[in-house]
Amino acid sequence: MSLVTLRDLRVTFRTRDRTVHAVNGVDLDLAAGETLCILGESGSGKSVTLRALMRLLPRFAEVQGRVEVAGQDVTRMSEGELTDFRGRDVAMIFQEPMTAMDPVFTIGQQIAETVRRHERVSRAAAEARALELLELVQIPSAKRRLAAYPHELSGGLRQRAMIAVALACRPKLLLADEPTTALDATVQIQVLLLLRDLQKRFNMGVIFVTHDLGVAGEIADRVAVMYAGRVVEEGPVSGLMSGPLHPYAQGLLGATVHPGMRGKRLTTIPGAPPALDREPTACAFAPRCDRAHDACLAEVPSLREPVPGRRARCVLVPDARAESPGLVPAGV
Amino acid sequence: MTEPVAPGARLPPNRRMDALPPSADRGGPAQPLLRLDGLVKHFPLKGGLLGRTQAVVRAVDGVGFEVRKGETLGIVGESGCGKSTTARLLMRLLDPDSGTMVFDGEAVGGSAQVGGLPLREYRRQVQMVFQDSYASLNPRLPIEDSIAFAPKVHGLGNAEAVRRARDMLAAVGLAPANFARRYPHELSGGQRQRVNIARALALRPRLVILDEPVSALDKSVEAQVLNLLVDLKEEFGLTYVFISHDLNVVQYISDRVLVMYLGEVAEIGPVERIYEHPAHPYTAALLASRPSMDPSRRRTAPPLTGDPPNPVNPPSGCRFRTRCPHAEAVCAERKPIMADLGGGHAASCHIANPGSGHSLAEKVAA
Repeated sequence: MSLVTLRDLRVTFRTRDRTVHAVNGVDLDLAAGETLCILGESGSGKSVTLRALMRLLPRFAEVQGRVEVAGQDVTRMSEGELTDFRGRDVAMIFQEPMTAMDPVFTIGQQIAETVRRHERVSRAAAEARALELLELVQIPSAKRRLAAYPHELSGGLRQRAMIAVALACRPKLLLADEPTTALDATVQIQVLLLLRDLQKRFNMGVIFVTHDLGVAGEIADRVAVMYAGRVVEEGPVSGLMSGPLHPYAQGLLGATVHPGMRGKRLTTIPGAPPALDREPTACAFAPRCDRAHDACLAEVPSLREPVPGRRARCVLVPDARAESPGLVPAGV
Repeated sequence: MTEPVAPGARLPPNRRMDALPPSADRGGPAQPLLRLDGLVKHFPLKGGLLGRTQAVVRAVDGVGFEVRKGETLGIVGESGCGKSTTARLLMRLLDPDSGTMVFDGEAVGGSAQVGGLPLREYRRQVQMVFQDSYASLNPRLPIEDSIAFAPKVHGLGNAEAVRRARDMLAAVGLAPANFARRYPHELSGGQRQRVNIARALALRPRLVILDEPVSALDKSVEAQVLNLLVDLKEEFGLTYVFISHDLNVVQYISDRVLVMYLGEVAEIGPVERIYEHPAHPYTAALLASRPSMDPSRRRTAPPLTGDPPNPVNPPSGCRFRTRCPHAEAVCAERKPIMADLGGGHAASCHIANPGSGHSLAEKVAA
């Protein structure tokens, strides 16, 4: 049974002034112990999708579709059930730990509070757990750091402390929203390796939102590339990195500066992503795609599966499941 | 592009200029465009009952390097290493506590009486592009007016300044007919950064300081702006100082690279030497920290542990020694000198200095 099931997730933000169709039909599955990266640029709907899994969206967001985590229907939970669910079954870490943690409580207090909220344990036992967790996330002189306030820690230590709070009740699912983006290069790799290690040790499912292909390359088992609120390509990380199927994914890889490109002109994707005041009724990438033709504008392309386990939402990609006429595959 | 005629008849005589032509080269191609020596900038931390100085942030602590004519010099380092303070010193948005700056043979900050280059003239020749494209534009001015502002300050007439602003918009790929009267909030991040580049170039500077110019942009837009910067450099004959924390971008765009650590220069050299044969252990660790895009070649152990130390209280001797895998007693005792490794490559490390007393340095010498 999969740990996470998303079916036709749609999120629309409606305010008096404007409407934004942020997520327009996302299907995703995550197995227990698997790491999925949602890769996309700003406005692609990656963070909104992540927040929908924990119902962290504001009240004016209209959410439709099926959202199941660990066999529970998240959309039907009462406020009380949600409070039990958050922190116990699923936890989230954010880009900026300074705003995610409470500035007036010590690190130790914040971990112990989480433990006692979900488990019937004594204060002393909760504090012992807090110490254990700080050691787990490799915070040096953990005992002393229990009494530290978030502002007293460096950026890297603060991010480790937030991971400790998230892991306090051994969640089955960890949601990570760009947790290493604000960190320095030498610290980012430490936190990525720590997360990879903890994921293995506790066999957690992880959904990791990032805009950085390098981060996805370090940590993901599978990658879902999002564009204009839809998943346009999904599959194992190695396949995406060595031969992306969707023209947008190809453009993204070509536009990312990596070693050995010196002196060459960078490939760019012309134009900009669409404004999502209306739901795209065709391929949302077609206006920027140099291989677009009539079929792209007729309807939203279905997800095609050229090889088992790899899917792309592009009419140029052949579908091995249905006997479709052999259109030229886009760079397989 | 033809240079417009000066309309400055109504201006006071000291503000009349020949419609701001690009400044001429003075010292010839071999003379560095900018030379910095022993630049120091400390920020006092005040506190306590009497507001006394409690401590000092040694943001830039004795930095010296040169920027050659026509090159792109990349500056890399982590937060707190002083790269942005260096940028602000280069632009003279901050005054250095000590040290000298020489621009094409003339001391920066002089006056007509004592000689040297007055700041006003220096700032015409040196311009800057900031990371935050929104905060660095006036939200109440149409972008055309923002671009025309500096040329007007430097004596260009209104109509001429607006014409130049429109030329610059066209040069950065924003059609003036569509964009000139827009306000910053009506543009995307990539378009705003193009406006900032247009504004920096409107004075026809010789040196442009780019402080994390693409860090806030999405990857597809980042590539567009990098291509544009390469084109403009060629078109206007510019020299760039490109500051970034993104090692891949710096490698892509730079001719030479300067690595900073805790307010000091750790290593400087041609881009190939720095990336292929780093001499400073910090440079090597920084390069090894880059995430690999190839899942079959994942990092297994982090090259460094811990965060960079606080620049308020830097370690004695070599400032990197607290995180360095090769640190020995000598590293705590003495500050390393810049070792010249030939070909313009230099590193501030005892290992690179034969006879420094470091055990690995002996092998180098042998």
